[in-house]
Amino acid sequence: MLGAAIPVLAHVGSPDVFYEGDAGPYHLFVTVRMPQVIPGVAEIQVRCENGDVNSVQIVPLRLNGPGSNLPPTPDAAKVSKDDPQFFTGSLWLMESGALQVRVMVDGAKGKGELSVPVASFAQRTFPMEKPLAGLMVAMLLILGIGVISIAGAGAREASLERGEAPGPSNARRARIVMVVTVIVVVGLLYLGKSWWALEDSDYQGRVNFYKPPTAETTLENGNHLVIRARGQNPKWSDRINMGEVVPDHNHLMHLFLIELPGMNRMWHLHPTLAEGGAFADDLPNMPAGHYQVFADVVDSRGFPWTLVGTVDLPEINGKPLAGDDSTWSGEAIASAPGKDNTVSQLPDGGRMIWERGPGPLKAATAMDFKFSVQDKDGKPAQDLEPYMGMAGHAEFVGSDLSVFAHVHPAGSVPMASLEMAQAGLMGDGSSMQSGMAMAPASGPMPAEVSFPYGFPKAGEYRIFVQVKRAGKVETGVFDASVQ
Amino acid sequence: MAGTISLQPPIQARSIERAYAETASIPWYIWCCMASVLSAVVGSAWDISWHETVGRDTFWTPAHMMIYLSGVLAGIACGYLILSTTFQKDSRLRDVSVSMWGFRGPLGAFICAWGAVAMIAAGPFDNWWHNSYGLDVKILSPPHVLLALGMTGIRFGALVLVLAEMNRAEGAYYRKLERMLFLAVVFLMGMTVGIMQEMTNRILMHGARFYLVMMIVAPIWIATVAWVSKNRWAATIMTAMWMAIHLAFVWILPLFPAVPKLGPVYQNVTHLVPPDFPMLLIVPAIVFDLLRQQTAMWSRWKQAATLGAAFLVSFVAVQWPFADFLLSPASRNRIFQTTNYPYFIPSTSPWVRNVFIHTDHTPGAFWLRMAIALVAAILMVRLGMAWGEWMRRIRR
Repeated sequence: MLGAAIPVLAHVGSPDVFYEGDAGPYHLFVTVRMPQVIPGVAEIQVRCENGDVNSVQIVPLRLNGPGSNLPPTPDAAKVSKDDPQFFTGSLWLMESGALQVRVMVDGAKGKGELSVPVASFAQRTFPMEKPLAGLMVAMLLILGIGVISIAGAGAREASLERGEAPGPSNARRARIVMVVTVIVVVGLLYLGKSWWALEDSDYQGRVNFYKPPTAETTLENGNHLVIRARGQNPKWSDRINMGEVVPDHNHLMHLFLIELPGMNRMWHLHPTLAEGGAFADDLPNMPAGHYQVFADVVDSRGFPWTLVGTVDLPEINGKPLAGDDSTWSGEAIASAPGKDNTVSQLPDGGRMIWERGPGPLKAATAMDFKFSVQDKDGKPAQDLEPYMGMAGHAEFVGSDLSVFAHVHPAGSVPMASLEMAQAGLMGDGSSMQSGMAMAPASGPMPAEVSFPYGFPKAGEYRIFVQVKRAGKVETGVFDASVQ
Repeated sequence: MAGTISLQPPIQARSIERAYAETASIPWYIWCCMASVLSAVVGSAWDISWHETVGRDTFWTPAHMMIYLSGVLAGIACGYLILSTTFQKDSRLRDVSVSMWGFRGPLGAFICAWGAVAMIAAGPFDNWWHNSYGLDVKILSPPHVLLALGMTGIRFGALVLVLAEMNRAEGAYYRKLERMLFLAVVFLMGMTVGIMQEMTNRILMHGARFYLVMMIVAPIWIATVAWVSKNRWAATIMTAMWMAIHLAFVWILPLFPAVPKLGPVYQNVTHLVPPDFPMLLIVPAIVFDLLRQQTAMWSRWKQAATLGAAFLVSFVAVQWPFADFLLSPASRNRIFQTTNYPYFIPSTSPWVRNVFIHTDHTPGAFWLRMAIALVAAILMVRLGMAWGEWMRRIRR
């Protein structure tokens, strides 16, 4: 079944999670809007597309290991007033790392549940707004001057007998005490400021820890590309072992090389693990050029990382493309807004059509991106096959390269993480959450493929949609202007 | 009138004052401030337990409300007290008040009001902190310290209000106020010891850092109460009250069923998680009182050095082996409550595995810290002595 999806959680500028799958008899579309700080509140939206769901409960857990088998009290999602099959709720995500949101539904067809892996991480810290900063400075001044005045009043008058007026010696003592208090207050403020700076740096370190690691590349022997990950926080390599990444739909790494600046060439390759946690691959024939690197891996805890970098390559006389490796070349991305296309010619004369419907594309809106494949006669293609076990793969790339998301028919989570999430479901997880992004085991594949996703922000995007037809990978390319 | 003796007016006034000093009841504003402090004490213990058991699912938890009620109560009571003393010309407190910024009132009222303002300032600061850095699941953060300073201000203000009244009182009224004094110091020690609880967990009790922290936060109150009170067992009584209140939380909180509402959850929590069993501060407090009586005629610094050293040594002597006991299976019962862990502590944590964390990496580092702890104990005792002596002079 094609409908269920696996979100691939590549998270370059695209932290929200879109997932489509089955909770028992119910086909659900789940969106998890991730918080910007951790601990923080994630907003969950659940839409049931095929049944009478009465209630939806949501609960956060670790994806695997300790913390994955003791769910807290579930939160009940609220049903929408306009749509009885649309539910929303909020969940505190208390930790960074690989978590899951478990969704439990109850309705006319009984109970069902599914789990959505989510990558929880702080995206940023916020500066203090000026009005609040002003208020805080005012309060600090009042408190600072207040404590000095109180110390002075205490030293001057607190020991006086009833009705006794303070004398010159009391006033002198009060002045000395106030001077000492000023020094103490200034010292404490300085210590407080230093502590705050330290805390801020600590939080910034956590934000940096989860920023996409840099892909450091070297080219050896003409076409042997070696990729090493370097975290944005020095502690990253101590805690994340690239030698222990887990396969994600059959490959340890999905490498995308996109020619810059026009994105008019793209390679989707699958390097293997080399020594010391590096990845390496023999490149195919490639023209000399400047290439953007996006490389997806999933660590042993189920957390997805996208390595990001650029590489300048000479002309490569490499090996022929084989296995699941694929490439595309064509026109450069539209340089101006409004040049969206909904039809992409395929090499065999067929076409891929984006059924995007009328109206502008909106940022931060969950959508189902549907693409139909036609043969050279304009008829629905009958020769589609699973590509790496799935009906298709889509890469959403921002024109400024600040967004990269590798999405599957199940959505934006990695298969490897999803398998871990399933392992914790009650009963037979594989039947509870069936169909996830996997292609049907037998029978003809539909000529249509869809991907649940939402653009994270406005801007120009290029979408690469990859399907496999009669043993050959074909890529449709679409440009999209998002408001 | 036959059979009566006519008194001269000044003698009459002094007699009335003395009679008042012996028989008066504790004034409303002291009750208000002590109720405010109690609200914060119970609210804080409940709040920490709530964070560890349920998780802070909303700002509007009853425990949070109790904490902020403390600020509101103290702010309103002391604000009214200051305004009434300032503007009512016949206020009884007018000639036992201090002046500040054109206002008049008891010194303790100004301190309490300062504490209430600090608590109010901590509110938006803490909220911004959560929005900017995430909801902190720790006690020691800058906005929490500002909140703690506010709460400490209210407690200290309450203490000064009690002191001013107590130092003018005599007889039964003095003894009533002295009991209030013990309670006020208990709450202050509870504050400073409590805010350090992340550094005083039982698995840290075989490290010098634990003893250094404790010497900074505990002996000052022991010495203060001993020097301000006329009771020869003041330190012992105050510390016993601190332990009793702490034990009440240890034994009462687990009686309430509760489950986590936030996740991930690592511990199967079924009731409110209580605080750790209290430290055996009663032993060094008894040693302190005994030695204080023996060394009463010594010079202040010599006395402070002796009492500080004795405090540290006796505390290490009882707490070190007691920590072994707390980590042993023998302590895993309703009395010592050592099987309660916050929901967010993984079972791999040394806390859950009952393994000591050694905070000092070398024997040299251990002994250096212990030496600093000794110096801290002596200095804090000396500071407490000076503070106590100053407090005995407070009249307003």
